[in-house]
Amino acid sequence: MNKISIPIGPHHPLLKEPLSMNIEITGEKVLGGSLRLGYVHRGIEKMATQRTYVQDVHLIERICGICSHIHTTTFCNAVETLLGIEVPPRGLYIRALMCELERVHSHLLWLGILAKHVGLDTVFMHAWHDRELVLDIMEGISGGRVSHAANQIGGVRFDISDKQAEMINVNLVKLKQQVSGVLDVIENEPALQARTQGVAPVSAELIKDYCVVGPVARASGVDVDMRRDDPWSPYDKLDVKVITRPEGDAWARTLIRVLETRESLRLCKILVEDMPDGPVSVWASRKVPEGEVVTRSEAPRGEVVYYVRSDGSDKPARLKVRTPTLPVLSLLPVQLSAIHVADIPVVLAGIDLCVACADR
Amino acid sequence: MIRSLFILFLFPGLGFQILCGLAFEWMDRKLLARFQRRVGPPWYQPLADLIKLFSKEDLLPESASGLFEMLLPLLSMSAVLTAGLYIPIAGFTSFSFEGDLIVIQFLMSVPTLAYYLAGIASVGIYSIIGGGRSILQYLSYEVPLLITISGPAVMAGSWSVAEISQAQATMGPFVIFQPLGLILAIIGLIGKLKRDPLDIPSASSEVVGGSLTEFSGTKLGFWYLVMDIQAVVGIFLLVNLYFGWSDFSLPLLGIGIFIFLCLLMVVILSGTSAIFARLRIDQLAGLGWKILVPLSLLQLGFVILMGV
Amino acid sequence: MRRKNNLFNAIIDALVSRPDTIGYPFAELELPEGYRGAIVINADNCTGCGLCVRDCPAGALKLEKTSRDEYRLTHYPARCAYCSQCQNSCTRDAIHHSNQLVDATDRPRELVVILKDKNGECD
Repeated sequence: MNKISIPIGPHHPLLKEPLSMNIEITGEKVLGGSLRLGYVHRGIEKMATQRTYVQDVHLIERICGICSHIHTTTFCNAVETLLGIEVPPRGLYIRALMCELERVHSHLLWLGILAKHVGLDTVFMHAWHDRELVLDIMEGISGGRVSHAANQIGGVRFDISDKQAEMINVNLVKLKQQVSGVLDVIENEPALQARTQGVAPVSAELIKDYCVVGPVARASGVDVDMRRDDPWSPYDKLDVKVITRPEGDAWARTLIRVLETRESLRLCKILVEDMPDGPVSVWASRKVPEGEVVTRSEAPRGEVVYYVRSDGSDKPARLKVRTPTLPVLSLLPVQLSAIHVADIPVVLAGIDLCVACADR
Repeated sequence: MIRSLFILFLFPGLGFQILCGLAFEWMDRKLLARFQRRVGPPWYQPLADLIKLFSKEDLLPESASGLFEMLLPLLSMSAVLTAGLYIPIAGFTSFSFEGDLIVIQFLMSVPTLAYYLAGIASVGIYSIIGGGRSILQYLSYEVPLLITISGPAVMAGSWSVAEISQAQATMGPFVIFQPLGLILAIIGLIGKLKRDPLDIPSASSEVVGGSLTEFSGTKLGFWYLVMDIQAVVGIFLLVNLYFGWSDFSLPLLGIGIFIFLCLLMVVILSGTSAIFARLRIDQLAGLGWKILVPLSLLQLGFVILMGV
Repeated sequence: MRRKNNLFNAIIDALVSRPDTIGYPFAELELPEGYRGAIVINADNCTGCGLCVRDCPAGALKLEKTSRDEYRLTHYPARCAYCSQCQNSCTRDAIHHSNQLVDATDRPRELVVILKDKNGECD
């Protein structure tokens, strides 16, 4: 049979964000593919050097929609280290609470996308229905569903009143009950297992060669999680359970994210119960002293690294962001060899792309 | 003459089939929405979609032939409408002759061939792949469907749908003797209609629209009508073959039972659409030849033994 | 006995309960109190200091000031990112978000809202 080349082009029902792939197939087997990025490049790192630190917090939030809070958290951690100030504990607890809620939100969104690509539309709708509860919690505390604007340099922007804490607790209980339903269905559904088991296995050596991080790495047995390895308070007091599986195929990646959602819900409950009293932010000066700093934290898709260099003025001299989707994308052409055409959606959904993060 | 024109254009011909097709599409979409906790479209939505499609611009790739592409949905529509004429609706038989079950099966396969040709004729890469997949799927579900449908014919001793339907007034509904046959026939119908879980040719996450990717405007409107009418004709056929029609003392009771059975079939089709995930093409071939064909042969053998 | 969490039970539950989507705009939409909607100003508190203009990341605020008592503060809703930085920076509790939505328009460049216009000493 001769080779044909399918474009999974910038516009395709498979992709949430534009990405260009040319996949070569013969019949129903895939031979390989090539990748092209850069459709959503906005020049954020350059724009960040032309704006002050206060304005940069809002610019950084718009790198990605799904992991917006963790980006601003890492940036604020970096600048606060340069300034030498310490955020009060209540502010740190609120930041961690929003991070874990965002992780639940991101995994539920991903679950819906995987189900839709496999053909299970019902699970897609049910998972996104449960995601609405998470968005309601976030809207109740911060005023926005996706763009929270929660962080400012020196702490968080808002405080959680007793009535809001009550609302969060009630919603968390409801969420845990409903999410258990969806997660049970995913774990026990034979159709999903038949479609994902044995598809595109990746060995641990390949993961280490390509520097892949996040749930994709943990699904192949590589034990790496920034919440445990490089924690910022209060993660050093919480006992985060890191889940790994040895198989490395698409089913392992699905199961890891399901288990991580349950773990994040448990952490949210602890964070709300143990929240200390006190102020939520401290005053931060606008001019940052000279220096450079590297900070890391664990986004829903892996480890995100920020490098900030300042020259003593109120604008950063250089900002560099390394997002977790970029190494995973370089692994994609390797994963795409020797699978069926019908497995392409499963592979793409399993690695949970966030192209806006990768392109910046 | 007047009777023929009435049958051809009003009941149960063109007008009735189109109305039933639009009603089926509305019920299917509304049920699917309610299974997924959504509100669902209002009752006039399929008609509004059809009117909107007929008023849109008609685009085609340069190397595709416009006349050929227009003929394909019209040919499919005339085939399924003709097939619908030979099926009695709630006891009202329009035309029938000995052997019309075979003719109906043949006419209902014309849309599949037209779907494949439409994929080849519109020259894009997604259409060609979708068309090829539809022929692969046809080979997997058509053989068990044909074997299964022969079951009621052997039991009633005739190949005419009207006579099979009448025979159940004395023998009782055939579903009591062939429950496996009904299940296999429903699976075959899902494959013929290209619905979830067997909508491999038009899987929107892999091939963007299947054969119909390049269609737009009036031609696409006709394709949607073809798919709706095919579903309605398939449902009527199955209800007649497995439940039949008995002349009750109250004619309204018989019509009510017929409508109730058709609605039950719609609920079953929507429910399987909601629960199951899409199969891969090699899994479908395995299912078709390793499971469905032996089971249908078993059912046919059971029917023949019972008659002896 | 606890029912098994499988898909069949899930769709039966969904069928008998009310749908969770509303038919907006034919149905009411409730927004929480802290929702970051359109920008409004408490005009008595505003002194034209310009802190909000300096900190706006999107450049959606403009202050034309000729003297201490003659200034005009303009807001461009189409450029605004609704990030509430102006509300955080204001030390006099003047500019803040309401929780009303901003209507869509097909001419966004003509959307201009004059927040405060002061000419001369007020008495």
